[in-house]
Order: sequence, then C-alpha cells, then structure tokens
Amino acid sequence: MITLVKKDLTLFFSNKQDMLLTFALPIIFITLFASVFGKMNNSEEGKVVGLVHSVAGTAVMMLLFSVAGIGGSLLDEKQEGMLKKLLCSPVPPNHILFGKMIFANIISIVQLVIMFVYAWLMFGLDILHHLPSLVLMIVTIAFACSGFGVVLASFAKTREQVQGFSTIIVLVMSAIGGSMIPLVAMPEIMQKIAVFTVNYWGIQGVYDIFWKLVPLTNITFLSRVLVLIGIGTLLNVLALLMFKKNILKIV
Amino acid sequence: MINVSNLRKTFDTIEALKSISFNIPQGECYGLLGPNGAGKTTTISIMSTIVTPNEGEVSIAGYDLKKNPLDCKKNIGVVTQELALYNELSAYGNLLFWGSLYDIPKPNLIRRIDEIVNLLGLADRKNDKVKSYSGGMKRRINIASALLHRPKVLFMDEPTVGIDPQSRNLIFEVVEQLHKEGMTIVYTTHYMEEAERLCDRVGIIDNGEIIAQGTLDELRTSGSMKETVVISFTNLSDERFTIITNEWNDLQRFDDTLHFYSMNIQSDLSKIILTCNEVGLDIKHIDIRKINLETIFLSLTGRQLRDK
Repeated sequence: MITLVKKDLTLFFSNKQDMLLTFALPIIFITLFASVFGKMNNSEEGKVVGLVHSVAGTAVMMLLFSVAGIGGSLLDEKQEGMLKKLLCSPVPPNHILFGKMIFANIISIVQLVIMFVYAWLMFGLDILHHLPSLVLMIVTIAFACSGFGVVLASFAKTREQVQGFSTIIVLVMSAIGGSMIPLVAMPEIMQKIAVFTVNYWGIQGVYDIFWKLVPLTNITFLSRVLVLIGIGTLLNVLALLMFKKNILKIV
Repeated sequence: MINVSNLRKTFDTIEALKSISFNIPQGECYGLLGPNGAGKTTTISIMSTIVTPNEGEVSIAGYDLKKNPLDCKKNIGVVTQELALYNELSAYGNLLFWGSLYDIPKPNLIRRIDEIVNLLGLADRKNDKVKSYSGGMKRRINIASALLHRPKVLFMDEPTVGIDPQSRNLIFEVVEQLHKEGMTIVYTTHYMEEAERLCDRVGIIDNGEIIAQGTLDELRTSGSMKETVVISFTNLSDERFTIITNEWNDLQRFDDTLHFYSMNIQSDLSKIILTCNEVGLDIKHIDIRKINLETIFLSLTGRQLRDK
C-alpha cells in the first residue's frame, strides 16, 4: 500500500498542472475573496469574519475540486489498464482503494496547510494561537472531503463523468454550504439545508476557531469534528462498497 | 504447469467461454489463436485471477486458482493488451513500482531491472519518461514489468498489437529466449505467423470454444487438409480443362487458373506439371499454398482469422 501511495505522490508532484490547480489556484481565490470580504466591513471583528469566511469557504470548495480530480485518477488507471495489472499482482484489491484514500488525505492536508499558512503570512490570520484546534480541523476536513473524491469515482464510469458530476455537485454544495456567500446572509430555509453539506461543517469549524475563539474542548467544536469524521467514514465505506461493485469489474 | 478444465464464463447474456479445457506442461509455449471476440482475453483474464469463472477449475504451478489466488499471482507474470504504464514516470520508475508490488528486496530489484532493460535493448533510455517512448518501446517496457519477479508462467495477451517490425522482432526474440530458459508461456494472438513461429502447441479458439488443439503438424494431419498448387496458364481452354479433369479430378478452375488439391504436395507436384505439359498447357505462374494455421482456421470455421 505504501508503494501505491508513493507512486501517486511521485506522479502528483511531477505534474505541473495538478500542482497549479491544487495549490496555486486556491491561493488566487483566497486572495480575491479576502480582498472583497475584508473591505465589506469596517469593524475589526467584521474584517476577521470576512477573512475567516474567505479562507474557510474557499479552502473547502477548492479541496472538493482537488479530491474529485484525485478520484478521477482511479478511473484513468482503469481505462489505461493499470488497474487490471495491479489486480494481477499480489496486492489485495482493497489496498488499491485504501492507497488512493491515503493519497487523497495527504494532498488534502497539504493543500489546507498551504492555504492557512498563506492566509497567516498575507492577511495575518492568527493560526499560531489556535494550532491544536486548527490541526484537528484540517485533518477532519481533509478526511471528509477525500471520501467525496473516491466515492464520486466509484459511481462514475469515466474521468469525463467525474469532471461533469464534480463541477455540478461541488458548486451546488458550495453555494448551499456557505463557501460562496456567508450563511448569515442566506434565508433561514437555506441555512437549514446547509447542514447536509461538508462545506457547512468545515466552515463552521473554522469560524469556531478564529471568530468565536472556542477552545479545543468546546462541545460544539468537537461535535463539528465528529460530524466531519462521520461524513468521511460514511463516504469511505460507500466508496469501498462501490469500488468492489463497479471499479473492479474489469472485463 | 497449467490445468484448465471445463471453464465457463458468461457476461450478462453473452456466453464468452463454453467449457474450455486444456493442459500446458512446464516449459511449453502455448498459443491461443482466434479472431477478435473469440474468448482469448477472457481465458487469460481468468487465469490471471482478475475475472471469476462461472464454472470450471484452473490450477497454476500446482496452486488452485480459487483456493490459493495469492500463490497463483506470485507465480504468474501478465503482459496485458493495454500499455499499462505511467507516462509521467521513467521506464526505471515504472519498473521499480511494478517490481515493488512483489516484495522483491530493493537491491535485487534494481539488479533485475538492469538485467531486463539490457535484454530488451532499452538500457540507454531507462531514465527517460515513458511518454517520450515509441509504441514499440512502451510495449517492451510493458513486457519487462511482467518479468521482474521471475514468474514461472507468463501470460502474453496480444503483445505485438500496433508496433513497428523492429520492436516486433525484438519481442519475438525475447519470447524465444524466455522459452529457451524454460518459462511456461501462454501467448494469445490473431496473427498466425506469430503462433507458428513461437508456439509449441496451439489451441484454436472460436466463439468461446477450443475447436482444435495440438502442434502444427498434428493440426495439419487431424483435419485431413490438402495443400494447394495454384497454376495460371496462357492457353487454358474448355477442351483442355476437360482433358485435365480426366487425369486429375481434385481441382477447381478460376478463369485462367487451376487449383490442384493434394495430400502430399512433394510427390504430386511433378505429376501435376507433367500432366499440364502433356495436355499442351503453357504455364504462366505456379504458387504452392501449404497448410498453415490460417488455412486450418478457415477449414474449421469457414471464416478468415482476421477481418479483411
């Protein structure tokens, strides 16, 4: 399994386009949104909220796009015959999926870390005083989002389908979940629907850390962590079931 | 080394394999010859453990495929029809990855990679990215990746599809070398020249059934097939044709050409030419069509092996 993860990481870091889309593009979006939302409020607290919203909203949305691409690579491997060859090797079939999940988690964590470090360096987001909570939140958001990528690949037949589905699903989830517009500005019904998106739980968790300044042991904060873990577990189990049913059907 | 008995596989309503059986002793190169869609890849896929049969038994190197799939996997190398390589990695990177899946200690693996890229004539380019390789070079690396763990059995599924003659010859030489070293090889193809050159025995597969199997000589004799002497003339008339049919009754006329059929062409050829001279026929051209896998397939199925 380590061999599989190492191979995926080598391929990822040797592909400039993937690097650009995963790391540079989110930074551009954060810069744009932080500039816009930061100027909409004159108060100090308002500026912080604007910045936190920009970072959290963009981070989760861009992360969902990235993991959809990672999930798509599983279908590339199926189409190009690598999966068939892997299945002929002594590697247990489930390890192929677990390897992809670990790879997606690593890339997700790196992407989130880069975004938060960028927000700290460029906009002064105080990550150093909330490091333990932030680390926990980053890991759980990465876990929940990476499951999304793999489950999407398990349902689709080709990478093109993944791209099509992911664009629609990510944009809808981001619009409903508060990645684009802060939830407080949305009607009450939309705020209720938002709880069904991974964006909502991720953004609220980051709000808790940087805006509401709750401690790591806060029940509300921990409940959001648990929900994210639950979403990740559900998606990964679903992906495993679908992987056996759909992706392993080689011929 | 390989025992396959009563293998059956259906995909939805399509019956891909209808009770296939064959045995391959150690060190034999066995060819599965048949047109596209005949069931060659399905048979290889089952033996490679990636497709589960509906019925039947397979054992490889003494291991039952159902009971010990992992032991079977350790003993087989599979050269897939697809070029299953990572284009962004070098040939060396690809081989290192595929070899690592078999738990080969790294120093041994590196030595083995060097050995194989030398055998396949790719030592100079081993550090280049695979995306810069020609189709033939990619095919060779694809073969190399199946040999790293020194398998006892090698499955090759149409390994020469879409490559240049030079690479094709190199692949033939590698297969012959592996065969000489005692490796058991199952080679699927729809090119009869490949099967004739490389395989000790051939199984002819059509519509999911093995319709004949044996050495080329066995297949020639089992079908009571005749070789053909094709002679075209400058002065073939109806009258001369009638005279010659009295002398030689197993023949057919196609305009100015006659097809003489014979069970033993070596002894009959001179007799045919002598008869033609006696009748006063001027011979323009002679062609001898010997029995090969193509003609055997044609006589067994009534169809060409490849779509023309």
